[in-house]
Amino acid sequence: MRQVAVIGAGKTPFGAFPDKDLRTLAVEAAHKSLANAQVDTGTIEAFYLGNFAGPGFTGQNHLAPYISTALGMIGIPSTRYEAACASSGAAFFEACLGIASGMYDMVMVAGVEKMTCQPTPRVTEILAGAGDCSTEVRAGSTFPSLFAMVARRHMYQYGTTRAHLSSVAVKNHENGVLNPDAQMRKVITLEQAMNARPIAEPLNLYDCSLISDGAAAVILCAADRAHEFSAKPVKVLGVGQSSDYMALDQKPDITTFSAVKGAAQKAYAMAGLGPKDIQFAELHDCFTIAEIVAMEDLGFVERGRGGFFSAEGGTRRVGPMPINASGGLKSKGHPVGATGVAQICDIVQQLRGEAGERQLERHSIGLAQNLGGSGASCVVTILGRD
Amino acid sequence: MRTGIIYTDTIVHLAPEKFAADVPYQVVIVSLDGEGAGRLTARIAGDNVVIGDRVREVEGRDGIPVFQKSA
Repeated sequence: MRQVAVIGAGKTPFGAFPDKDLRTLAVEAAHKSLANAQVDTGTIEAFYLGNFAGPGFTGQNHLAPYISTALGMIGIPSTRYEAACASSGAAFFEACLGIASGMYDMVMVAGVEKMTCQPTPRVTEILAGAGDCSTEVRAGSTFPSLFAMVARRHMYQYGTTRAHLSSVAVKNHENGVLNPDAQMRKVITLEQAMNARPIAEPLNLYDCSLISDGAAAVILCAADRAHEFSAKPVKVLGVGQSSDYMALDQKPDITTFSAVKGAAQKAYAMAGLGPKDIQFAELHDCFTIAEIVAMEDLGFVERGRGGFFSAEGGTRRVGPMPINASGGLKSKGHPVGATGVAQICDIVQQLRGEAGERQLERHSIGLAQNLGGSGASCVVTILGRD
Repeated sequence: MRTGIIYTDTIVHLAPEKFAADVPYQVVIVSLDGEGAGRLTARIAGDNVVIGDRVREVEGRDGIPVFQKSA
């Protein structure tokens, strides 16, 4: 198996962009990644697109060639991958296989979502489609409500508190303020975060990530050829994908996501590393409780200690395990299908020492965790400096 | 009708259009009584419930299972 390197990364800002359609966003991110890698489209042998619900949000289907041909890439394999919020993580995983197998030397992975073109109740309805429509969604579960039920059980079993949840939001906003591409660049206080209007109790507005438009793209290359193109290639040390039951009511214990554990075990094993070796991470904080559960499932803290660790400041940029220095989904924004690749872009930026005011002191090995649905899909990627 | 115990719950304030008239409403996961009966996502009628409460099934609507706190 050949090692894979990331030689280019590019993102659009995340936010509400009424004048930019889905394709415009994806093409913008793709061009940035090509420019960053200093390669042209002629070198790209395959296009992998992560997108959750483009057809639902915009009416457009068959999205991969819709985008790749707009980039002038005609004739190459061009396919869309869907794994709910882990869509572009899944696309990235497949793209890694394409290089690792020896089939390709260079490919592009992009992720995109255009969400703000629909009113919030319709967005809520589309997002709920990532749950099991025949059971939990039919009963009135929204996406926030699924994670609210996780939070309620986590609080019951481990003593996680309202303030613990809010500490995640406060920290991610503190980081997002320093990210010029973040959607919500605003400091919030713990009091504000704890007392926001309820969305699905116990979760409130500040426990929930944002509704966003945006795209991200990376150029992957065989590691043995990366130096031909890049002075600062980043190596994919390990990558793993796993799956689990769709509905929460099918899982034996909803305070842990076995897909996250499974993906992490595979990624750690491939990298020959463990949780203690990870210096920083971008975790899938679609809701505050998701960041807490993720840090436990990844082995950064003991089970049940995620909320306490967060409230103690353990995940701040100056803490022992900085999490979501980018601002996370909470502050940076969460264009669902773009998020997995956007996390990779954020890790690459840190590893290269190009994160500006957000630059972390220890930045040799970073981990990205991209979660789909309420834990039915997960992709974990470990990246390191060459 | 089925009976069980509340495993977890939420109170929904922001709902899709078709449930907008019900807001706020409580959604729960019930651990059903009986060996291997498993769990079920359901709505609550009447008083709100908390984890550990015993509930019994009442007549549902549109195929949605509905439970109520046991007296």
